[in-house]
Amino acid sequence: MFASSWLILLFPLLGFIGLSWYGNRISRNLVGLVGCGTIGASFFMTLVTLSNLLFLPPEERVGHVQTLYQWVSAGSFKLDVAILVDPLSVFMFLIVTGVGFVIHVYSVGYMHDDPEYSRFFAYLNLFIFSMLVLVAAADFFFLIVGWALVGLASYLLIGFWREKTSAVLAARKAFVMNVIGDVGMVIAALVIFETFGTLNFADVFASAPGMFRPNDDSMLLITLLLLVGAFAKSAQLPLHTWLPDAMEGPTPVSALIHAATMVTAGVYLVARCHVLYELAPYTMYFIAGVGIITAIFAGSMAMVQYDIKRVIAYSTMSQLGYMFLAMGIGVYSLGMFHLMTHAFFKALLFMAAGSVIHSLDGEQDLRKMGGLQSVMPLTHATFLIGALALAGIPLTSGYFSKEAIILSSYHADMGNIVFWAIAVLTAGMTAVYISRGYLFTFFGRLRSPAAHPHESPMIMIIPLLVLAVLALLGGVLGPWVDSFLAPVFGHVAYHPHDNALESIALVVGIGGIATAGLLYMVSKERLDLFKEALAPLYDLLFHKYYVDEIYDYLIVRPTKAIGAFLEQKAEREGLDFTVDQVGLQIKEVSHGISLWQSGKVRSYALNMIVGVVTILLFVVFM
Amino acid sequence: MGQEFVLLVSASIFCVGTVGFIIRKNPLIMFMSIELMLNSVNFLLVAYSSFLNSLDGQIFALFIITVAAAEVVVGLAIILTIFRTRHEMDVDHIDVLKG
Repeated sequence: MFASSWLILLFPLLGFIGLSWYGNRISRNLVGLVGCGTIGASFFMTLVTLSNLLFLPPEERVGHVQTLYQWVSAGSFKLDVAILVDPLSVFMFLIVTGVGFVIHVYSVGYMHDDPEYSRFFAYLNLFIFSMLVLVAAADFFFLIVGWALVGLASYLLIGFWREKTSAVLAARKAFVMNVIGDVGMVIAALVIFETFGTLNFADVFASAPGMFRPNDDSMLLITLLLLVGAFAKSAQLPLHTWLPDAMEGPTPVSALIHAATMVTAGVYLVARCHVLYELAPYTMYFIAGVGIITAIFAGSMAMVQYDIKRVIAYSTMSQLGYMFLAMGIGVYSLGMFHLMTHAFFKALLFMAAGSVIHSLDGEQDLRKMGGLQSVMPLTHATFLIGALALAGIPLTSGYFSKEAIILSSYHADMGNIVFWAIAVLTAGMTAVYISRGYLFTFFGRLRSPAAHPHESPMIMIIPLLVLAVLALLGGVLGPWVDSFLAPVFGHVAYHPHDNALESIALVVGIGGIATAGLLYMVSKERLDLFKEALAPLYDLLFHKYYVDEIYDYLIVRPTKAIGAFLEQKAEREGLDFTVDQVGLQIKEVSHGISLWQSGKVRSYALNMIVGVVTILLFVVFM
Repeated sequence: MGQEFVLLVSASIFCVGTVGFIIRKNPLIMFMSIELMLNSVNFLLVAYSSFLNSLDGQIFALFIITVAAAEVVVGLAIILTIFRTRHEMDVDHIDVLKG
């Protein structure tokens, strides 16, 4: 039935290997063709798999494990190299390969002048392959393999411009944060193996409800450990600091990895393990709480940043917070739906921002942009669509997904008024910061006199248009996503209707846009007054709540101090000293002995004769 | 010709060779001294071969002469090369291989 599904993973892997080995020897056009073609082929195979899946009746769509071969068989422990085909994984395949393909095409234009063109595409293909491994995993082992590979690909791509110190540091930061998550995941997998005796998803999820009552200790432990990984990958508090820095990478990377796909892995993990999470309601509340706090926390920071990519990065964190909120209150398919629409409009925003940055020769500071509306009409239109979708303006895709989550945060069984209030407030902030970014970029006059902005080439514009259509119309897929994913989650998400709450959210959203318009467009003086009045708050937000500084004081510096102490006392004065002394003493002794070797042949002869005579005398007279 | 006489002559030649080797600085003379030592032993071997009515000693002496000849060839070649490069022939100055 799904025998060909492994081809989905094969193509990007072949692309990665081929481009790594031959990338420098083939022409640029061929590199682009291979880079995009493999992902396109992978997307096509995903569509084939999807159509196969849709031919089955809904209740038979879950639990297809396509085993390639058995890898480990040690006693009761078995590990198969297998691909899990069910609505959830196919849904993720679609997003990863679909959005991935569009972004690959965009990269052909964006990276066109980069000297290391083929290395970029090799890494991108590696990333897509890793993400597919993560999603296709049928057990926790390969989930972690994919998890770590994705972290590696992200590290390589953030640090792609390796001659930039800040990029290298950002890559390292992202890697360290992700490894913290990986460690949590590995411990979680060990605990799962200890508890269930298997790592297989199907077996674990089948036996868990019979073995444990809700909120049993081991369920809480497993779910919280898995969350460490999910939070690190999805940049939720307190492991979020790497995501804004990750914007040092090329913009297509930000669009693909740090908006559309990789950062949603945490959401996917919770969705995949929802059986376990439902046995741990406390953890669910925790997820919802962290999600909503991250949402408002990131949203507030996004309002004062001046780097266009950072604004969108914080916005990503904030939207991921919404997704986790949806997971926490148990409306999984709404969370997945928002994941999808977010992938559309956030990739669109990043790529439109990339188009702006491209035309301004790498300028990312909002204060130096402006007035691009007339110069870049297509980029402007697509950015506007992305911004409207993000702000949740009715009829765009973002409206359907976000509004549903906000409503559910009150109406779902685990929802309450606090979640709802914060969610609405965050929606207002979202509207403010994205309008601010939009106005700064496209209105007024250009504040960077040296720049000569121009519309980007068609190979960048067409992907933008494709995503713009999806971001605009993706909302109609909502009911389909619900019913498609229902077999996995066991129920269709409950869609409440509450005109009062919907209206409030809508008013807050439009109010946010109006506020931004008033503050940033109508009057500069008013903005400065506003800034003056709220100076302490402004500083707090501008410095990102000083989280980086706090981590620096609490973790980085003590660690460095311990390291320096150990280097001096344990290594230099302990180990090194001992080893050096052994060597030095031996050298001294050997030097003394070597003086005997004078190089004078006659003295050797004399010594020899004296020796022989002595021995003879000894033998004869003793 | 008694055995004492043979031993005495052999020992004297050997001592001359030994002392010559130690006190002379010219490598050619030192080589000759080595030959003296070797030949003192050869003399002893041949003499005892005759005393004991056995050919072993003489065969041994032939071997020693052969090996000594080969050794002199190598040694002279080295000495020549050293002389060509250093333009002097004092063994006390040839001490590059000291510790």
